[in-house]
Amino acid sequence: MKTFRLTTNAFKGLGKNKMRSFLMMLGIIIGIAMLSVILSITQGANKKIMVRINNFGPNAIMVHSGGGKMRGPSSVSEANLTQQDLHDISSLEGVKIVAPFQLEPGMPIKYQDQFTTTTVVGAMPNWAEAWRRGVSRGEFIQTDDVELLRKVCVIGETVKKELFANSNPIGKELLIGKVKFKIQGILQKRGAGPGGGDFDNLIVIPFSTASRRLMNQPKYIAMMRVIVDDPSHLKSISQQISRTLRSNHHLASDEEDDFRLRSSTQIVKMIKGVSNTLHIFLLLIAGISLVVGGIVIMNIMLISVSERKKEIGIRKAVGARSKDILLQFVLESLAITLTGGILGFIVGIFGVKIMEMISSTPAVISWETLALAFGFSFIVGIVFSVQPARKAARLDPVEALR
Amino acid sequence: MNFIIQAKDITKTYSKNGSITVKALQDVSVDIEKGEFTAIMGASGSGKSTLMNILGCLARPTSGEYFLDGENVNHLSDDDLAKIRNRKIGFVFQQFHLLPRTDALENVELPLLYSDRSDISKLAQQALEIVGLADRIHYQPAELSGGQQQRVAIARALVNNPEIILADEPTGNLDSRAGLEVISVFQRLHAEGKTVILVTHSPEIAEHADRIIRIRDGKITGDERVQSPLNAREELQNFPEETEVTP
Ligand SMILES: Nc1ncnc2c1ncn2[C@@H]1O[C@H](COP(=O)(O)OP(=O)(O)OP(=O)(O)O)[C@@H](O)[C@H]1O
Ligand SMILES: [Mg+2]
Repeated sequence: MKTFRLTTNAFKGLGKNKMRSFLMMLGIIIGIAMLSVILSITQGANKKIMVRINNFGPNAIMVHSGGGKMRGPSSVSEANLTQQDLHDISSLEGVKIVAPFQLEPGMPIKYQDQFTTTTVVGAMPNWAEAWRRGVSRGEFIQTDDVELLRKVCVIGETVKKELFANSNPIGKELLIGKVKFKIQGILQKRGAGPGGGDFDNLIVIPFSTASRRLMNQPKYIAMMRVIVDDPSHLKSISQQISRTLRSNHHLASDEEDDFRLRSSTQIVKMIKGVSNTLHIFLLLIAGISLVVGGIVIMNIMLISVSERKKEIGIRKAVGARSKDILLQFVLESLAITLTGGILGFIVGIFGVKIMEMISSTPAVISWETLALAFGFSFIVGIVFSVQPARKAARLDPVEALR
Repeated sequence: MNFIIQAKDITKTYSKNGSITVKALQDVSVDIEKGEFTAIMGASGSGKSTLMNILGCLARPTSGEYFLDGENVNHLSDDDLAKIRNRKIGFVFQQFHLLPRTDALENVELPLLYSDRSDISKLAQQALEIVGLADRIHYQPAELSGGQQQRVAIARALVNNPEIILADEPTGNLDSRAGLEVISVFQRLHAEGKTVILVTHSPEIAEHADRIIRIRDGKITGDERVQSPLNAREELQNFPEETEVTP
């Protein structure tokens, strides 16, 4: 009851000197606003990463032909993975699916008088399972399509939209390069692909048809998608694949890999590496403004203890104990920092909304951010008021009333 | 005898930088009965305020013993002294000492804030009624006359129903009419059984008490009964009309 009364009094006290209260709050408002913005953006980025990982597949490893640094998918021209590689990887423990595919980006497509270019993928039937992506209409590539080198295809939504607008493309024939293919299905919509590009802008045809009829690569495989049973084994299986391929390709120990492996862990590293330094920098600024805000509060309070000597004397004369005075000053500081924290959070939310509108930065405003804003305001309120509060509590009442 | 205040050989010395020492009180002994109305007189610097602060448990004597309501308070902790000030003592000061930018009601509530009472605003309102300010409860000190401010301070002193009211020159900053009004409140509290101790420079004001104690240079030099104390209420009724100007 007593503490409750002191608390309401502390908040009431804010209104008695509005300008000073506001100045004391300013640093906290700025610090908490920045903190809220950073947390919202970080959470937005994390969410984006999660979506990317999910699109990539949390339990997938991509095997690319050709060595060197990371870049986009390997095209059929650099294919160097063999049937032996495919066989050996398939027999590794913990490997669930290995889906080999050929890939050629930017192939010219024609339907009647409509032209477009797209990525053409030559896939086995298990491509659908490996990408967890089948058809929304029609039929995917079947085993006998591959065996019989059929000239059939499944098209992505983007291709469909560009060539057929709203009409039904199933059963129609289009030209990939100079070869006629019959459309037998529409791929499920996916949006962003593992590299962030449009994953609906592609055409899937049978693996054998691609190798022999379209891309002239009867021997080597451009890429493989490996699905493991347990995502926690990604790393060890990646290492085994790497060892298998190096030995199959007769690479000496001082030679570089002539293939590349990618998994979701690397993607996370890549994306986080860019944003982390920026976030640490911004967090630093938020931290500095909170500390500066705290020091401002401390100094103004130290001055106000001298100004308010009489009040402290009066309170002690009517029965306030030293700890009551201590509590009063801490509560007054908390009233400032918590109000400042709430205002800062609101300012931060506005900032985030504006950023979302201007630069379409993905942001997530969460309860955790509010809780952290509150927590930091609380800590600053306590830490920086202890010294002035103790100074006030120690005042001798007779001296104070003089 | 039922003494509410028993001070034995109280000495208070102030030392500055450890060298010069001021003996504000020297071997002062006072016994005050429950329900007495005592005036303390003495020249400036004689030690009146020092004595009041010790009697009110706001300061500790350098030596000597002080029994309040039969309890030796010398060895009590600061927190216990605060509790005693809250429950047994009401202070009234020359400079009123009200909280600025805080209305009369909240000022009077202040001692209750540090008590366990829950009916705070009702008690504060009653106290303001006693001092005749029921119609001013939401006025801030700056909106009240000196006499009214001092009556708010008295309401604050009596709101927690203490045994003892200690008033250090409560009329010092008031004109004679406002001063008499304040004294009449003390006389009424005295009539209701409260122990009142009043410091004053003015011999006329002192004549309203039952007893006058005189101090000089930190020592008691006189202690006498007042044969027939003046009655402030009667004086107020006879008070010349033209001087009745609100300060
Ligand atoms: N904190 C202090 N430090 C040093 N000396 C002090 C202190 N407080 C009081 N004194 C001295 O003690 C003596 C008594 O002071 P006190 O305030 O009790 O006088 P007083 O009788 O109340 O005077 P007045 O009528 O002017 O209020 C004075 O000489 C004063 O200078
Ligand atoms: Mg004095």
